[in-house]
Amino acid sequence: MGGGAFILIGALVLSMSDDLPFGTLASPGAGMMPKLVIGAMLAFGLVLLARARGGPALAAIAWDDFPHAVRLIAITAACVAVYTWLGFIITMSLLLFGLTCVVERKPIISAALFSLGVTGFAYGLFRVALKSPLPQGVLWF
Amino acid sequence: MLFYAFLGCIVGTLVGILPGIGPLAGISILLPVTFGLDATKAIIMLAGIYYGSQYGGSTTSILMRIPGEAASVMTCIDGYAMAQKGRAGAALSIAAVGSFVAGTFGVVMLTLVAPPLAGLALRFGPPEYTALLVLGLVLLAYMSSTSLVRTMLMAAVGLLLGCIGIDVMSGHFRYSFDIKELGDGIGIVPVAVGLFGLGEILSTPSATVTQKVVSPRLRELLPNASEWRLSALPIARGSVLGFFVGIVPGSAHIIASFLSYAVEKRVSRTPEAFGHGAVAGVAGPESANNSASTGAFVPMLALGLPTGPVTAVLMAALLIHGIPPGPQLVSEHPDVFWGFIASMYVGNLMLLALNLPLVGLFVSVLRIPYAYLYPLIVMFCIIGVYEVSHAIVDVWIMLIMGAVGYLLRKFDFDPAPLVLGLVIAPTFELSLRQSLVMSGGDWLIFFQRPIAVTLLALCAGLLVLAAVALLRKDWRGRLARAQASGEEA
Repeated sequence: MGGGAFILIGALVLSMSDDLPFGTLASPGAGMMPKLVIGAMLAFGLVLLARARGGPALAAIAWDDFPHAVRLIAITAACVAVYTWLGFIITMSLLLFGLTCVVERKPIISAALFSLGVTGFAYGLFRVALKSPLPQGVLWF
Repeated sequence: MLFYAFLGCIVGTLVGILPGIGPLAGISILLPVTFGLDATKAIIMLAGIYYGSQYGGSTTSILMRIPGEAASVMTCIDGYAMAQKGRAGAALSIAAVGSFVAGTFGVVMLTLVAPPLAGLALRFGPPEYTALLVLGLVLLAYMSSTSLVRTMLMAAVGLLLGCIGIDVMSGHFRYSFDIKELGDGIGIVPVAVGLFGLGEILSTPSATVTQKVVSPRLRELLPNASEWRLSALPIARGSVLGFFVGIVPGSAHIIASFLSYAVEKRVSRTPEAFGHGAVAGVAGPESANNSASTGAFVPMLALGLPTGPVTAVLMAALLIHGIPPGPQLVSEHPDVFWGFIASMYVGNLMLLALNLPLVGLFVSVLRIPYAYLYPLIVMFCIIGVYEVSHAIVDVWIMLIMGAVGYLLRKFDFDPAPLVLGLVIAPTFELSLRQSLVMSGGDWLIFFQRPIAVTLLALCAGLLVLAAVALLRKDWRGRLARAQASGEEA
């Protein structure tokens, strides 16, 4: 499975490398290094595919943590998407609330208090104390 | 300077104690905090986090049988067994003293070895650097805990990611998809934080993390005379073994602790005691992993060659501060080099003084429920990555790399070589192309210069050894299958 995936990725990247000139050995072009690395990747992928028993089979892998991982990524991605638009305080409060309340099923009140408290502390630490330019968003905070 | 060493040690100890945040994720997340500092203070603080985490990792191993970071796995076995027998305090003390002795030995060796090695490296031209980087990759693959092919595949992915951005020699845009932020290439920080910080959190559902915290009292911390006697030689052996393993690329501090445990068991008069609370099973591996983490700084400082993902991120930190690590570091930035080494002497002493009396305080951090702790880490990952470049693209890269890290763990791939490949990619490409231009396209340039040919001969030797081991493993597997089918018949 792993070997096949890397062969596919290698072939895909190779197809995107048409506009990169390989050059000559005396004058290597921008495409030389990527194409050499893709060649190595395809070769190693083929070896891995040929020795497929070395890795775990897809069915043998425990996927019980997969729903947790998907929920976590979905909430984080949603917050990243609005981070620069809504600003630090709103986005981080929503992120922490989403992870503690929606993913971890903690009570709404304690999740809300935790989210606001931690975001306030982080804002004080990074924006006020360390003068880091956090994204301000449409509401200027 | 002392304050930043102290801060690094404290944060490092906490990073080592908390399961799920290794030194790499800790350093990557806190890297942006150092942007306001000068290079010397920044590297002192970040290095403090690294070796501080080696001290902290033993605490949870001994008290809870949870390795705070991978190198502490071996300490779990006998450290926890000692704790079960009521000797938790003694195990913690032996681990701390062993770490101190080994850390100090490592720094003394670093002081002696790094400057002459840097002097030698000044003779290196592009062909020598190309050969050195190839040797680094081959050594990494050879020493890796997963298979050689898988490690090389990961390193290739890292090298390919390192090709993204503007080609410095021709000005071509490569794989940047019209995203202007990708013109400078993919940053190490988003990749490292994604693969190791977020990836680890995705692989650790909160339901699987339990917190049963026991903290020993201060008066129980002193080992008895017999325990001191039994730990002296393992500490000495672990210190020497760890330093030399640390110089070799790969997850040196992890390999060093495993090797040390095997050595101690082999030389012990009572090997049957291992696994049931053997003092040497704590003293040896703990000393070895600390000495190895110091040894890893030798190639980083003297040659500009990262031996693992942690030194790769530390190198990135120096580069961000405008200091190129490598042979010129000692002569051109002596304040950074010697300030860093001096801080390590003091840092080791600080950690010894801090770790034992404050062990109760440190383990109390583990009382924070994981369901509240990991959202905090996710938030710090986002802040940390965004603060490096103020580009939201980097946060997306971190998120994608988090998902990639999760899948790589599932399919038994080690993500560390990927980061290493990404770090060395620009130097590797530049030195390879410069070598070819210098020779007018003649590959023989790598075989005509004594240093380069020696390094390449070492690579060939290692590859032959690895191929022999692979064939032998295949042959044994075939033999075992044939025997099993014969017995069935």
